[in-house]
Amino acid sequence: MNVIELNHVTKRFDQFVAVKDLSFEVRQGTIFGLLGPNGAGKTTSIRMIVNIFAPDEGDVLVMSKHVSPELQSRIGYLPEERGLYKKMKINDQLVFFANLKGVNSADAARRVDEWLSRLELSDWKNKKPGDLSKGMQQKVQFIASVIHDPDVMILDEPFSGLDPVSVSLLKNVILDLKRRGKTIIFSTHQMEQVEQMCDDICLINHGTQVLIGGLKEVKRRYGKNTVILDYEGPDSFLGDDLVKHHNRFPNYSEILLNDGADAQEVLKRALAAGARVNRFELVEPSLNEIFIESVTGKASGSNGGVRQ
Amino acid sequence: MKKILIIIKREYLVRVRTRAFMIGTIISPLLMLALITLPIFFATRGGGDRRVTVLDQTGDPDMFAAIKRGLEARGEGDDELNRRDPGVGRTNYTLTQRVVAPGEDLQAVELQYQQQASQDPNLTYLVLRPGSAEPLEVEYFAKNTSDFSIGTLERAINDAVSTLRLKRAGLNTAQIAAYTKRIEMKRNKITSSGGVEEGGRADFVVAFIMLFFIYMTVLIYGLAVMRGVIEEKQSRIVEVLVSSVRPTQMMLGKVIGIGMVALTQVGVWALSALLLTTLGVSVFASRGLTMPNLPISLLIYFVVYFVLGYFLFSTLYALVGSTVSSEEEAQQAQIPVTILLVVPMMIFNMIMANPTSNASIALSMIPFFAPTLMMMRIAVVNPPLWQILLSMLIMVASILGCVWVAARIYRVGILMYGKRPSIAELGRWLRYS
Repeated sequence: MNVIELNHVTKRFDQFVAVKDLSFEVRQGTIFGLLGPNGAGKTTSIRMIVNIFAPDEGDVLVMSKHVSPELQSRIGYLPEERGLYKKMKINDQLVFFANLKGVNSADAARRVDEWLSRLELSDWKNKKPGDLSKGMQQKVQFIASVIHDPDVMILDEPFSGLDPVSVSLLKNVILDLKRRGKTIIFSTHQMEQVEQMCDDICLINHGTQVLIGGLKEVKRRYGKNTVILDYEGPDSFLGDDLVKHHNRFPNYSEILLNDGADAQEVLKRALAAGARVNRFELVEPSLNEIFIESVTGKASGSNGGVRQ
Repeated sequence: MKKILIIIKREYLVRVRTRAFMIGTIISPLLMLALITLPIFFATRGGGDRRVTVLDQTGDPDMFAAIKRGLEARGEGDDELNRRDPGVGRTNYTLTQRVVAPGEDLQAVELQYQQQASQDPNLTYLVLRPGSAEPLEVEYFAKNTSDFSIGTLERAINDAVSTLRLKRAGLNTAQIAAYTKRIEMKRNKITSSGGVEEGGRADFVVAFIMLFFIYMTVLIYGLAVMRGVIEEKQSRIVEVLVSSVRPTQMMLGKVIGIGMVALTQVGVWALSALLLTTLGVSVFASRGLTMPNLPISLLIYFVVYFVLGYFLFSTLYALVGSTVSSEEEAQQAQIPVTILLVVPMMIFNMIMANPTSNASIALSMIPFFAPTLMMMRIAVVNPPLWQILLSMLIMVASILGCVWVAARIYRVGILMYGKRPSIAELGRWLRYS
């Protein structure tokens, strides 16, 4: 069952078309990655789903209904640009946000306690945001977006500014929400996170959809055309005839092959050139590569280009 | 509807709980009380004890006695004198006479006292001498010649001298008292309904206080609304909020919430003012002063115009807040709105001088001026009811219009960062769906 559906949605601001004929569906109980470069129209799309903007054309359906103020309380939204009231205690702010989503104060107080203890913030309950680190504030903002136990969650860069411990804590929380049947739209520029968490993805650029489908299927579409090679020695053995482009990381190289090139040829040439090969693996391209190729129409670096 | 109440509650509590609000609400009436009562207190306490040496070259023993009686009798049940000089009746004079014989060099004696007085601030002296043009010339010498009580001294001397003259003319004490009894002129104001009520002098004070009060409070709380909008925008809380409530609800919730904070504060102040007047009236009355009395209808008008004015301006301030990204930008952007509020403060003198002229009536109908100017006219001249109702109607209509415009700008503005929009852009925002 599709919890969210966008059907040929277009949104304009004066002459500028922010979103153009965009369609996608989000299945219940899945994590859906909404990806795209800055200014691609992600935020505008999300704002239409949470009923901040109305589309100029097309339909935005949440749980098969047009979005409405009533539906807003079933959605939890963690915007990329987010903040807290400076002069309010953490507890009071969270109760306020819960109240706005229709949770009564008694329930809200109980849920605030639960969530604060779950995200290890109980000691900060009666502090003001100024006393909290940026990471702690991010966690509080996350709580604000889930405090009303919404069926649909839209998380825009939920991990920004968090240390690895908090990231893993929050990831587990999100995966747990998914297990409980919640539907999650996840927007980020961190492709590794998308690979770890998303079931389906939609990549948009200039307001239109570039790539859509299940994560595995999308990657399969690109085929196993990438070689991960960990070697010591010169890289002059790689010729233009074989390699579309080459990302050399400090510990290994990611080599995207030309169409029809044979991966074994790479290994052969490497050995012939006297390089010591520690690891040779044929893989699907990383989502990072797919993202860059889809958005720019070409691969991420030139031959031998070094990228972090 | 429920969501707007939640917003109102937050806006209200978050402000009322601050120390600044507590201080502003409780301390400032106390300060006001002190400002009003302390001068009266000190003035009525008078200058305490004062010793005056009278250098008397009149050769008239009755003269000194009359002055001494006139001054030393003050504050001791001489109602006639006390009423005339309520503020300064408490100075206790002790007069000693230094008779200067007609042949003696008065100037030399004066010089001697002058030197003493330059060392001793408590020493003052009065010179009585037969003048060349006048039968009596009086001069007072002291280190401090500018306190209230000197007027008392002068009047006491005058009274004493006139009484003495009348007595010499053959009148007895009873006759003198009867002939010199002062009259009081009562001021009566003709109301628009044709009736007559006492008072008049206090109207100006009341009108000005109300005018100033509405101006200050609307300005302070209007700016609070603007800052509140900017805070939510700057800290990026808006995006979370607009995914829960309509922007119009957000805006109205904020305006109403902060408005209730203002009303709370004004309420506390009004209550203390009421206490002050009831308390004050008795204090003033005991000192022979009349306290401006506030008719209840005037207070009601005051509250109505304050609320209307607050709504009109705070909506505009909310609009301004939604179009800027920082307080610095707001400084500039709020100027046009503040000017609308300041204009009446610059022309109120004109209205006060001629409150029933056509220009005054027209100006007091302009919605941005009505809260101050119409309020002032009500305090001064009791304009016909239709004028009051019309100005209220115009204001309500303007508020509805402003809320509509502000809400449409607000919902776009709060999500826009960066460059401040031009008027043309604002116009386009109005038309966004």
